[in-house]
Amino acid sequence: MSITFEFKTELWTPTYTQISANTINDFKIAIKSIPLNSLLYHFYINIFNYNLISSIYTNSFADWFYRNGYYSLAEEVAFIDPTEYLDLENLRQDLINILSKYNDDKIMQNAFYFLTIKRNIFFTNLKANTLEEFVNGIKNSSINSIFYHLVMSKLDNKKLINDYSEWLSIQGHFQKAELINKINLDIYVLNLIQVKQLILEILTG
Amino acid sequence: MIELIKYEDLIGKEEIEELKIIAQKIKDKKVLHVNSTDKGGGVAEILIRLILLMNSLDIKADWKVIKGNYEFFKFTKKLHNLLHLNINEDIESDEVRIYLKTIYENINEINTEDYDIVFIHDPQAIGLIVKKQKKQKWIWRCHIDTSTPNLKAWNLIELFINSYDAVVFHMPEFIYKGIKIPTYVIPPSIDPLHPKNIPLDQEFIIKTLNKFLIDHEKPILLQVSRFDRLKDPIGVYNAYKLIKNKYDCQLVLLGSFASDDPEGEEVYKEIINQVGDDKNVFILNLPPDSHLEVNAFQRAATIVFQKSIKEGFGLVVSEAMFKQKPVIGGNTGGIRKQIIDGVNGYLVDTYQGAAFRARQLLADKSLREKMGQNAFNFVKHNFLITRHLKDYLTLIYELVNS
Repeated sequence: MSITFEFKTELWTPTYTQISANTINDFKIAIKSIPLNSLLYHFYINIFNYNLISSIYTNSFADWFYRNGYYSLAEEVAFIDPTEYLDLENLRQDLINILSKYNDDKIMQNAFYFLTIKRNIFFTNLKANTLEEFVNGIKNSSINSIFYHLVMSKLDNKKLINDYSEWLSIQGHFQKAELINKINLDIYVLNLIQVKQLILEILTG
Repeated sequence: MIELIKYEDLIGKEEIEELKIIAQKIKDKKVLHVNSTDKGGGVAEILIRLILLMNSLDIKADWKVIKGNYEFFKFTKKLHNLLHLNINEDIESDEVRIYLKTIYENINEINTEDYDIVFIHDPQAIGLIVKKQKKQKWIWRCHIDTSTPNLKAWNLIELFINSYDAVVFHMPEFIYKGIKIPTYVIPPSIDPLHPKNIPLDQEFIIKTLNKFLIDHEKPILLQVSRFDRLKDPIGVYNAYKLIKNKYDCQLVLLGSFASDDPEGEEVYKEIINQVGDDKNVFILNLPPDSHLEVNAFQRAATIVFQKSIKEGFGLVVSEAMFKQKPVIGGNTGGIRKQIIDGVNGYLVDTYQGAAFRARQLLADKSLREKMGQNAFNFVKHNFLITRHLKDYLTLIYELVNS
């Protein structure tokens, strides 16, 4: 069956929520009310922007805890892998559960500022009807486009399979589809330039 | 499209294509940027290039500069300082009168009516908002840290801010409470193709040093900044004196006077008096367009300082990092977003701290090289103008579709 794959991309511009936290207890209150896109931003921004070495941990919550000396809490929060969630409310609940073990009004050296995003999704000029065209599309995709199809498509559609793998399966490339979906499991600890390279190796291998 | 293609080697074809896609969505919009100086300082430098890049994407973008006399800029510099630091100082009625009078004169001079999107940069021109028309989107772009402002200064500008459609800060830490409009966070950037950042021949670098009687074989400690107390040039000199006990090195403090900064000359004289007749210290006041010379100094430097006490973003840090230099920066403002302590440079709180880190770097060439490489990579992925352009285009898209 031939279905055209249309490559899209996603761009974010962060806005400040006017919510900040100076203590663990402030943070616990804030985390219950921040928009889901704020969770999305803070869990994914370092992957989304390909910040090579900007932080100790991938998500900015864990990074903030670490920089303020809450090492155990940082490790627990860092271990939450957002790619395993199809509903960010569940992620929020897991975060709340971890935080419930902590109770501290000590003022941190630096406050945490909650940002949120509006997602802007655009079609690119890239389309694919064949595997060859698909490889070419991936080669010419930005990391924002890779992020959209690997991560956001799953969240948006509440599906366990990403866009790339779904299309490859429909085209009959089951092994390639499965391998790419496995990469997806590791996206949280890689960067998107590495991920793009791995996808191309699978597709052309 | 000629301009954009030149960035392809650095950021890749796919990033260029993405810029074209979003530009296509807003290509019928006219964009105006307004600020207070066309020479000197990071804002003017980045605006020149952003306008060119927007035009190369078929977006009609223009840049206009407000005019004012000495009294006007003296007050706006004071306002800038009061927003930056919570100094206990009053704002006089006469100063507000001069400010409003100058804005009134500029209202007649600066045509904003023909534009769909108007960016006003920093507090100097903030009052132009009175010209806003319903169909337009006005954005106040704040380049300074207003997190702990003098309240009289903040209350004055807050009256204007909330009439805008959106405000943009470099980082959330800079935002003071009370803003009721969408508050975007977009870090600034440097342009790798600006004469200040392009690759240079070693011959030109040495020639530039020779011109100022600087020894190219002796280590050079450099700070490039306006002559401004908040940049702590005296602190850098004090650090140099400590380093000098162990290492035979030179200090170069390089800056220029900007037309909107009447304090510059005063601070310059203060530094000259402090330094006295030390033959290894060079206080250079270069014309604002000495981009190739600044570039040469940054490339020639062994270590670069940006020991600010308070800083907007401090793009000069990224400029040096892009040239693979380890930077020792003040632990403040945007410097903290650029330097990851111990990875691509060092953050310090005192001149003693600056001296200690400089000694570590002077003693270990491989450490300097490793940090320099990390610094280059970090800037390449986070603080280049193409990322900035993409953020602005996305912001415009969001606003015109909101």
